[in-house]
Amino acid sequence: MKASRIRETAGRAVFAAAAVVCVAAVVAVFVFLIGKSLPAYGKLGVWEFVTGEVWSPDRLDTYDAPLSGTYGVRTMIAGTLTATAGALLVGGVLGYFTAVFLAFYCPRRLRRPLSAAVSLLAGIPSVVYGFFGIVFLLPLLSHIAPNNGSGPLATALILGLMILPTVVSLCRVSMEAVPQAYYQGSVAMGATHSETVFRIVIPAARPGITAALILGVGRALGETMAVVMVAGNAPAYPEGLFGSFRVLTANIVMEMGYAGEVQEGALVATGVVLLAFVLLVNLLFGAVSGRAVRAAVAREGRGRAAKPGHRAAKRRAEASPAGAPAGTSSAAASSAGVPSAGVPFAGALSAGASSAGIPSASASSAGMAAPASPAPRRRAGRRRAGELWQALPYRPVLPRLGHGAALTAGILTGGALLLVLGFIFAKGLPQLWQNPSLIWGKYEFGSHRITVLPAIVATLWAVALSLIIAVPVGVMAAVYLGEYAGRNSLPVRIIRTAIDILAGVPSIVYGLFGMIAFVPLLGGSGSILAGSLTVSMMLLPTVVRSTEESLRAVPDALRQGSLALGAGRLRTVLRVVLPSALPGILSAVVLSMGRVIGESAPFLYTMGSVIGPLPHGVLDGGATLAVALYQLSGEGWYMNEAYAAAVVLIVLVLGLNLLAEGCGARLERRLKGDCHAKKR
Amino acid sequence: MRKKDKSAAPAQEFGQSISVSCANLWYGELQALREVSIEIPARQVTAFIGPSGCGKSTFLKCFNRMNDLVPGCRVEGSFRIGQTDIYGGTDVNALRRHVGMVFQKPNPFPMSVYDNIAYGPRTFGVRRRTELDEIVETSLRQAAMWEELKDRLGRSALGLSGGQQQRLCIARALAVRPGVILMDEPTSALDPISTGKIEELCEALSESTTIVIVTHNMQQATRISHKTGFFLLGELVEFGDTDDVFANPKDSRTERYITGRFG
Ligand SMILES: Nc1ncnc2c1ncn2[C@@H]1O[C@H](COP(=O)(O)OP(=O)(O)OP(=O)(O)O)[C@@H](O)[C@H]1O
Ligand SMILES: [Mg+2]
Repeated sequence: MKASRIRETAGRAVFAAAAVVCVAAVVAVFVFLIGKSLPAYGKLGVWEFVTGEVWSPDRLDTYDAPLSGTYGVRTMIAGTLTATAGALLVGGVLGYFTAVFLAFYCPRRLRRPLSAAVSLLAGIPSVVYGFFGIVFLLPLLSHIAPNNGSGPLATALILGLMILPTVVSLCRVSMEAVPQAYYQGSVAMGATHSETVFRIVIPAARPGITAALILGVGRALGETMAVVMVAGNAPAYPEGLFGSFRVLTANIVMEMGYAGEVQEGALVATGVVLLAFVLLVNLLFGAVSGRAVRAAVAREGRGRAAKPGHRAAKRRAEASPAGAPAGTSSAAASSAGVPSAGVPFAGALSAGASSAGIPSASASSAGMAAPASPAPRRRAGRRRAGELWQALPYRPVLPRLGHGAALTAGILTGGALLLVLGFIFAKGLPQLWQNPSLIWGKYEFGSHRITVLPAIVATLWAVALSLIIAVPVGVMAAVYLGEYAGRNSLPVRIIRTAIDILAGVPSIVYGLFGMIAFVPLLGGSGSILAGSLTVSMMLLPTVVRSTEESLRAVPDALRQGSLALGAGRLRTVLRVVLPSALPGILSAVVLSMGRVIGESAPFLYTMGSVIGPLPHGVLDGGATLAVALYQLSGEGWYMNEAYAAAVVLIVLVLGLNLLAEGCGARLERRLKGDCHAKKR
Repeated sequence: MRKKDKSAAPAQEFGQSISVSCANLWYGELQALREVSIEIPARQVTAFIGPSGCGKSTFLKCFNRMNDLVPGCRVEGSFRIGQTDIYGGTDVNALRRHVGMVFQKPNPFPMSVYDNIAYGPRTFGVRRRTELDEIVETSLRQAAMWEELKDRLGRSALGLSGGQQQRLCIARALAVRPGVILMDEPTSALDPISTGKIEELCEALSESTTIVIVTHNMQQATRISHKTGFFLLGELVEFGDTDDVFANPKDSRTERYITGRFG
């Protein structure tokens, strides 16, 4: 008995320690950001820095001497805002309508391939998008552009394509979460499919859609490499559709490699400005989704006008949905439909009249529901459908236009994917075929015969190492939050806030942090270990959050079942809760893996950017595949090799995803216990 | 050999009768139990009845201290199992091992049938395969499902029917050789045939185990229980032999409840 108590205490301590590590990571990032940027802000002046129009740093500037360079980021703030707005315009609109298409118009046979295509788009690393921009989009645009095609338009298109998957999948989820009853209620009143979709279902999903767009904005704000590759990067204002401009992230990545003292401080200060924008967006997201949650709660509350009463009554009500509830619901529907009965779409209902009509209709149906039994959700849904029906001013063309737009968007998204993948594979596969030494060749110093084998090896090292660091810490921290700490206790709130902030830090800022904090610690030049440490900090929030999510999905009944058998917390967590949450944890791992492979900004200066010899240990450096692709395409001499590297990169990401999915399926079967009883 | 003894014999520190005096319980501000005193005899079936929300489950969960898990829950009074005061410095896990529980909704773990049943013994240190095999077989036989399940021990417990799952949960509770088993509306989610099987099981088990069962089904109480307690608004209104309670209740509220006038 003693031993078990010691084990319990030790377990708790370990989990708590992991949570502390998360907090320490945030503190470290913040100490770094503040410590490095404060002197710069002091020297340059906050206002002058943010509103200064000229950026011409001098790397010899020091804090003790008068400055000879000029440091102002106003043009880049404008650049970031322009790029983000453009991305939202392209990706937001296209994504929204693609989601509508997927959720409501897609022929059943097309649905799975198209959803797969969208998640494929999400898996493609951002350098590949940038590369596609360089080799396909810019040449195309250069026909109509005064320059080589780079500038706001190209950036908006590429960034838009990048945020597309985020927008599509989140919008779609929230659209499909709208209760079927809304749809049925509206169709039952004579509305067509399109009218119902655009006037009832989508308005009901609006909070989720807003949240999706905001998340897309967050992604666009923090993106580095893809923008660097197509924006031109001259520190000037974005003007018109074409013309070189620079965003905040680009500023950091362009100059951090060789920055002097003040310059480095100014770059960190740029990161702080960027972070401020991201946090602002997060706050907005919190406000919106908070409101969404509250709205949902309110809806629920109204649906259950009567407090759930006697259990038997409840059971009866559930058993016979065709009984009394159906009767009242039709009454509610008809009372809601009265003003427009007969000719449902004849008169356009003025907003005033309908808003006056709603309360009485809902009140009467609520009145009917109250004394009887808790109202089933479906009826509340129908009633709400009626309200929404009346609340919207009627625009007869809108649904038909929407239908068309959804179709177009679906085709465009599918087309974009085919184009990106098709183009790169068409150019890259023949290269690989003719010249297999691209993959298998041996590195020779000073030779023009490039091989990406070292980059592949370095990538796999980085994936393995960063997962080994981030997954255990993240999972254990999540266990502490979900299973040990009291809900909403002070430490939990601190840790959650820390993790939220950590999640918002753009990857390039981690890169900056790693370059200044880890690299000097580990020998002064980039190494796999330094890169992995940097990236694992970036992964922590993803792992913690999705683990927490999947822990929350484990039914409490299982925990109670285990505790009631006399098992302690630790055993319950390790043997019952975690195994049940494993699929969710695994998907977090897959997600993280994709990010490690696809990221380049945080690796560029922490792991090295040279396509060099095979790394022999974690203290060796070397470009990852994504960084290699950036290097190859940037120099312009090795385009064929770049195509090949892009193909390898895509195949690697998708292959690992497939592998993980396969493992996941097996694991899930195993988890449910469908195997021969294991011997322990 | 010593290990085996430790696992197989019921823990000696507890008896099988339950005696409670002056129990009060609060969930935060809400008082859910008021001055409840009861003497539950060993190796019999005792049923708790009463309208929804009157505190039956709450009272039941005091016996294995599952209430400890509810934040803000405060318990007063003396709870003894045998001679042991279970709120006085007892090891909770040892207590829960001795006082098994079956929940309203079957809650098999997402593991194989075998692993489900072996979970408890493994918790208390049984590792040897032969020993575990024996425990699994005995428990399943006790729960009258050995014949049904012996060929699918390695398959997922989630693939069983609801009734089978619930009996599996009973077998799982039996695997640690409890002296007392608490059942909170174990049949309310089941069909009549599965319900009948579980009722038979209760009767058979009561030869060796104390069973306390919460039920909303008055016929069930009369069919299987030796003693019945009637709860109302957190109070134990009446407690006695089942036949007495149903045939000539002493309290008028009991009478009104069992003749169906409220609840
Ligand atoms: N975890 C909890 N937190 C706060 N209050 C609770 C909690 N569990 C139960 N209660 C309250 O305590 C009272 C008794 O609840 P209990 O679940 O014991 O009733 P019951 O007799 O088992 O009812 P039922 O027949 O519906 O299961 C109720 O008023 C209930 O709302
Ligand atoms: Mg209950």
